This record gives sequence, C-alpha cells and structure tokens, in this order.
Amino acid sequence: MSKKIQPGNAVIGAVLIGFAFMTFMPFYYVIMASISDPARIREGELLLWPQGLDLTAYTIILQNERFITSFGNTLARTGLGLAINLSLQLTFAYALSKRYLPGQKFFMIFTIITMLFNGGIIPTYLVVKGTGLIDTIWALVIPAAISTWNVILLKSFFENIPASLEESARIDGANDLSIFARIYLPLSTASIATIGLFIAVQHWNTYMDAVIYINTASKQVLQIFLRDMVVQLEMAAVLGDMGVVNETSSLSVRTASIFLVALPIIIVYPFIQRYFVKGVMLGAVKG
Amino acid sequence: MQAHWRRIAKYKYLYLLLLPGFAWYLVYKYLPMYGVIIAFKDFNFGKGIWDSPWVGWKHFDFLFGYPDFYRIVKNTILINVYELLFSFPAPIILALLLNELKNLAFKRSIQTIVYFPHFLSWVVFGGIVIQLLSPNDGLVNQLRELFGWGSVHYMTQSDYFRPIIIGSLILKETGWLAIIYLAALSAIDPEQYEAATIDGATRMQKLVHVTLPGIRNTIVILLILKIGNMMDYGFEQIYVMYNPTVYDVGDVLSTYIYRVGLQDAQFSLTTAIGLFQSVIGFFLIWGANRLAQRFSDNSIW
Repeated sequence: MSKKIQPGNAVIGAVLIGFAFMTFMPFYYVIMASISDPARIREGELLLWPQGLDLTAYTIILQNERFITSFGNTLARTGLGLAINLSLQLTFAYALSKRYLPGQKFFMIFTIITMLFNGGIIPTYLVVKGTGLIDTIWALVIPAAISTWNVILLKSFFENIPASLEESARIDGANDLSIFARIYLPLSTASIATIGLFIAVQHWNTYMDAVIYINTASKQVLQIFLRDMVVQLEMAAVLGDMGVVNETSSLSVRTASIFLVALPIIIVYPFIQRYFVKGVMLGAVKG
Repeated sequence: MQAHWRRIAKYKYLYLLLLPGFAWYLVYKYLPMYGVIIAFKDFNFGKGIWDSPWVGWKHFDFLFGYPDFYRIVKNTILINVYELLFSFPAPIILALLLNELKNLAFKRSIQTIVYFPHFLSWVVFGGIVIQLLSPNDGLVNQLRELFGWGSVHYMTQSDYFRPIIIGSLILKETGWLAIIYLAALSAIDPEQYEAATIDGATRMQKLVHVTLPGIRNTIVILLILKIGNMMDYGFEQIYVMYNPTVYDVGDVLSTYIYRVGLQDAQFSLTTAIGLFQSVIGFFLIWGANRLAQRFSDNSIW
C-alpha cells in the first residue's frame, strides 16, 4: 500500500481537515478559556493551551443555587421524559405495526396527518394551559411526548421481526400484551436504546417549551440558565454593568457554564454516536 | 354488528396499547388544530375557544396592512433563502468528499468530529459563537486587535446577523446532515464504478455520471422538504442569538409569535400569523412536489 498520494486526495484531505478544525476549534477555545487565568485572556493571549490554570469559575457555578436547581430540573425532565415518552411511543408504534388490526390504516393516516398539519404555537399553548400543565414539569414532558418520526421508526423495527414468533406464541396461549412484553420488547433492545437516546438528548438540549410554558425561576431548566448566563452577562459586559461578577472573571464564568451544560453530552457522545448514525440511516432508507 | 364487536374484542389488548397514544394525539395534536379557529375570533380566556366571538377576517385584514408583518415574513424567507443557497449544499459536498476517502481511520476521525456539534444544544453552540464574537474578550476580536483592525460588535449589528446565523448553522449541522447522503452513496452499486473504470472514466467523470445520479433522489426529496419549510425557521437558534438591536433583521415568524402572542397576549392575531404560515408552507411543499414529479421521477407522495 505504498501508493503515491494523488494531488486530488491531498486537496480533499486538506479541505476535510480544515472543516473539522473549524467545527472543533470554537469548542476547544471555550474549554481552554474556562480553565485559564481570566486576566491573561483579557490581555489577549491566544489559547492553544491553558494560560495559568484557574478553576475558580467552576467553583462559582457549582455553588450557584440557580445552577443547582436548574440542573435538577433538567435531570428530572430527562428522566421522566425518557420513561413516559418511550412507553407511549413503544405501545403506540407496536399496535400500529399490526396491519391485521381492524382500523390500522385509519390510525396510520390519523398519525401521519399530524406531520403535515399542526395547530401552531398559540393554539398548542392554549391546550397545554387548558390541561393544567403550565408552570409544571409535566409541560416539558407531556405536550411533546410522542414524536411521529420515532413512531414510524419503531413501527418499522417491529414489522421486521418475523411474524412466525408471534404465531407460535399465540398457539402457546399468549395474549397480545405478553407477546409485546416477552417477545417484541426483548428483541428490539437495540432499537429501543437508539430511540431512548434520541429522546434523552432532546430533553437535555431543548428549551423552547421551557421558554413558553415555565414562568417560575425555580422550575426553569438548565439551558435557560445558560442562556441567561451567556447572553445577559455578555450584554452586561457590553453595557459595563456587571453586578456580582467582575469583568475579568465574566469570561471564565460564561465559558465554564457552557462547558458544564455540554458535559453530559460530551460524556455520552462516544457511546451514542454509532446508535444515532444507525437511526438516521434507517430513517433515510425507510423515508 | 355482533360479529363486529367480537372482532374488536379479539384485539382488545392491541387497542389497549393503542389507546394512550391515540388519546395523546387527540389532545395535543388535533385539539390545537381545532384551536386554530381563534384566528377568526377575538379570543378571550374567560370565554374559551368556542364561546369567544367570531370576527371573520379581521385579524388577517389587520395583518396585511401592518408593516411589521411584512418585515417578519421577509426576514423568515430571507434567512431560509440564505440557508437554501449556502447551508443546503454543504452536507452534499461534505458527503462527496468523505466518500472519496479510502483511509477508513481518517474518515472515521473526521466524521466523529463533524457530527459532534449536532448533539449540542443551540444555547451551548450559540453561546460559543457569541463568546467568540464578543467585543471585549472574544477570539475573533482579539485577532482583529492583533492586526490593528479594531474590534467589531458583531452580535448587535444587523448586517452581520444573517451571515452569523447561517455560518453557525453550517458549522453545527453540516456533518450530521451529511449522514443521509452518505447512506445514499453507500447504496450505489460498486459495479457501476468498476464498469466506469473499465471504460476509462476519470475521477470527475465518475462523480458526474455515477455518484451524482446515485444521490439525485435523496437531494430532490430533501430539497422538497426544505422548500416546504421556507416559512419556518428554528426558534431555538434565533432566540439565543438575537437581541433587540437586531430585531429588524432577526425577528422571524416563530419568535414574533412568541413575543407578541404570549408576552403581549395577542392570541388571535398571532394564531392568524401561524395559520398564514402553515397555509403558505403547505402550498410550497405541494408545489415543490408537483415540480419534482414533472421534472424527475420522484416525489414525497
């Protein structure tokens, strides 16, 4: 394999490395800034490596009461969301995957229509309000509990499981509930893990629902904490009105918050990347 | 009739599994569709959706004579046009480049890096961008100072807003969106390449005559979906990256509906905006689909 590198390949490699560098660099810069001595960054020292290790920003944030409650709220919505959304999607998708079920076609159309038409932000808000969820954690879990996209993926997973398994279980006297729980669920653990990861990452990252449905600060989620931190500190820095945090440490506090909010994603990324890619591939083939 | 009930009884457990999801769709998807009628009413909380008085086209008449409305529609469409021009082709190019790589370890490393930002929230990614562009201590302005160009406050200048939005979208999502094209590329029959090689095709000729036709269907379908979305732009990205100084270019339909609809309690008016958005969106996707059917052999339905 000692082939000479073609000039074309060198260009392609260089373009790709350049793009990867541009994607990665901002993130790397933020991490370096968060652990560096703020005074030295302000003097304009460039950050290829940490400048004078300083972890004060992290201790400030980790002791911040709003950070702790927001972190707890996001953790709670992710846990609850994972349990509730996954069970709703699994049961619904399973029933939909049975083409022999009378009315299956109607239910399928009933589901697909919601991908084409939706009520929009305000009417949905009125329904969420009408069902008494405003300003509770349930507003972050229930209104988006089912993703039709996930249902279609799960339905096709279930359809790919050979029907002979179901038939032989039925001969042994099993009913639909036990066929679902004892045969289909154990056979689809990989797919369930994939969809579960989709749901968990979505719950960790999303915040539009929290903006719309949550009014009390103590119930707010981590992403909103970060938004206030980054956007407002930035604006305060511009306006010269810094309050508690002094101007020099503001950069470290902002970058450290960014890193802390992203940390769980960074930790799981190496494990989930493969599952996600598989999920998208499947979606692409089916779609 | 009895036979009918017996058939349903036979499948009672399956219907039981179906029921919670069905109820959810009714309440959280179909009820809001019904709620859209408040676009033709003066909604008030005391009376509720049904009992609020009908006002016909009043809100639409108001909107079509309202300069703000044209501004946000224009902003939404312009950002989407920029996205279509600059961001839509990026994953195709990335996938084509990745597809040319023979060294799998290198390919995998690049993929691992470029997929990553997709998993970060817009608050994290937008926060990083805001930080990099900060006038006081951002990297970009430090570099400018180094060259003696003076610092620029990017986030508060309308001229920079759309390029920043599209630029950060490209950095965050290109890698991820390339996966779909890579899947399509991997489905191309290797024999086609072998045949082309035997016929003496150059690398460029193979790209034009084998690779591009192989992913044409995927491109067309994603293009149709994109065109159907031209009236919508992600709330989460804009809401982090905009601020009052750039509302003139940054305010899009979703952010406007949120601010005016919920914060100023203009429920009916903003529902009318939402309905207008859905109707246009539907015609766009329908029209794009018709065009695709006419000029190629694929469509989304």
